Order: sequence, then structure tokens, then C-alpha cells
Amino acid sequence: MNPFATRIQHNPVIWSFSAMLAVLGFLGSLAWLTNRERINTFDPDQATRIRSGTLDVQAEYQKLSSEVTKLREETTKFQNAAANESGQAKLLNKSLQDAKKLAGLTELEGPGISITLRDNLKGKSDSPIIDTVVHDTDVLRVVNELWNAGSEAISVNGHRVVTGTNFRCVGSVMLVNNIQCASPITIQALGDPKTLMGAMNLPGGIIYEIKDSGGAGMVQIDSIKKMRLPAYAGSTTYKFAVVPKDAK
Amino acid sequence: MILIPILALIVGVLLGRLVAQPVGGIAGTYIAVAVLAGLDTICGGLRSNLEGKFHTDIFVSGFFSNVVIAFFLAWLGDRIGINLFLASAVILGGRIFVNLSLIRRFALTKWQDYRERKRIQRQAQQTQQMNAT
Repeated sequence: MNPFATRIQHNPVIWSFSAMLAVLGFLGSLAWLTNRERINTFDPDQATRIRSGTLDVQAEYQKLSSEVTKLREETTKFQNAAANESGQAKLLNKSLQDAKKLAGLTELEGPGISITLRDNLKGKSDSPIIDTVVHDTDVLRVVNELWNAGSEAISVNGHRVVTGTNFRCVGSVMLVNNIQCASPITIQALGDPKTLMGAMNLPGGIIYEIKDSGGAGMVQIDSIKKMRLPAYAGSTTYKFAVVPKDAK
Repeated sequence: MILIPILALIVGVLLGRLVAQPVGGIAGTYIAVAVLAGLDTICGGLRSNLEGKFHTDIFVSGFFSNVVIAFFLAWLGDRIGINLFLASAVILGGRIFVNLSLIRRFALTKWQDYRERKRIQRQAQQTQQMNAT
């Protein structure tokens, strides 16, 4: 006779406790694992700190991008020179220059408007501070509104808005095309100044919203008769995308 | 005897680690509340056992219903936009504290009783020996 068994018979309490504790242990370790998984993902503050590690690369990036601009200008000159040779090349060059215009790889000039957004830290004291500083979404929405109103080219703080341009707030600065900018942010748009002004002053529009939440001092809009937008100076190298052979 | 529940707990934990699939998304929070409910039921069972009011059926059904209710309360709270998760966490946490303090009181009383009994026994022995000599 097993003495253990007889003792157990007297103690159903132990067995129910054991079973429940086993279930509890299972659930507990599951919850533990789940929580650890959650902690392992970065919180925004950590992510910001990690990203700011790239700051010293920025200066070098600026230098290289100015070199890129210079080289692209030279290419344009060469293309134009080559085009002088024959009519066919001339046609080819024209379409090439059009494509470069569309891609934002050449400087452009013409009439337009200039919008300056600046942090309004003392204007409206009753607003929370989050409303009185310029955010990436503000810039993004203004740019979007400008495209919608028929802008032909846009630059933000001297950085041309092209395909793939992004605006991001990182700590106290903003990244435009991954280059650091800070308030005031100047957005220049080429297009019909009257139309663009009208779009910007739309009641209930984005400018109205910014002024409403952060004070009228945050926004300044000027109509400009002739201005010059810089060419895109960033990388144009594609790593993954290729043109398919049967593309039309 | 007390080793069996502890062993069971360890087995449960190991089983959980073996499965090792972190529960995705928000359901993880619900499991945390369910764990709290389970812990509360265990404490409650321990207490009722000490009080001599322990019933296995009540304990087992209570454990599972509490776990399931806590899980679904947290889930429902998320669906309708109020943090019922907090409600369960606060209530269950409070109950765990109350139960543990009662258990402590019982254990202390038992221990003091035991010492008192020993003391009286010793005294009785001493008087017996004195009477004998």
C-alpha cells in the first residue's frame, strides 16, 4: 500500500490547489512573455535618441548634396550642348529636360507664393504649447494643399519637394528630405499666385486651422512675382525598382 | 505535502515557457487581468481553507469563472471605450491584499496558539516532575 496515496485521499484541497496553480503558472508565464515582447519595441523617446545618432553625418550629407547639384548642372549643360548637334538629338533633349523638370532635377523660376510658418511661443498664451509650434503634419498638409491648388513646383526651406520627399518631426527639429530644418519653415510654391493665395486663405482650410489653434503670428503669406526654386539635391539611385522590358 | 502545489506551479510555468508564443496585440492585457483573477481565487481558496469553509467545487468553478469574466470584462471595456481593465485590476488587487492579510492573521494566531500550548505543556510537565520528586 502506498502511504502517499492514502494521505492524498484525505486531502482533496491540495489537488485542487495544485491544478489551479498549474493553470495560473501557465497563464502567468504567458502574460510575462507577452509583456516582455511589448517592452522590447522602442518607445518614441528611445527611437528619437537612436535616430539623433545620425546627426554628425548630416554635415557631410550637405556637402555631398551641394556637389551633386553642381554635377547635375554640368550634365544639363552637356546635354544641351550635345543637342545642338542634330535635330533628333534636340527633340530627345527636349523630352529629357521636360522629364527632369517633372522630377524636380532642374531649377525652376516663375511667379508664386511664399508661406512662412514659425513657432509662436509668446503670442497666444492660452493655447497649449503643442498647438503653437510648427509640426511635420502642418507642413505636410500645407504642401498637399498647394499641390491641390495647382502648384507646379514646391520647395521647403530650400529643399525641393519631389517624389519620395518626406517631412518628419524629430525632437525639436524637422527633417525635410532627411535634412534638418527648424522653425521658421518657408514653403515656396510656383504657380498662379492668385489661385494659390485663394487656396491658402480658404476658410476652414489648413492655414485657418493653424492660425486658429496657434495664433495668427504663426503664418505669413507673400505673393511673389518671380522666384527661383533650387533643384533636388538628394540621391536618385534606385536599389530595387527597375523598368520592366515591356514597359510602354 | 506543501511541495505538490509548488511543483504544480513550476510545471505550469515551464509549460507556458515551452509554448512560448507571446499573445499578440491587446489580448496580452486581457491575459494579465485573467492572471490577476486566478491569483485572487487562489488566495481566496487558501483563506477559506484556513477558515474551514473550503469547498472544492466552489473553488474550481470560481477560479475558471473569475479568469474568464476578468478576460471578457477587459475585452468588453476596450470595445465600448471605458477602461474596465482598470476596474478589474483595482478590485482584484484589493481583494488579494485583503485575503493575504486575513491569511497572515490566521497563520499568526495559529502559531501563537501553538507556542502557548507548548508553554502550558512544559509547565504541566514541570509541575508533574516537581510532584514526582
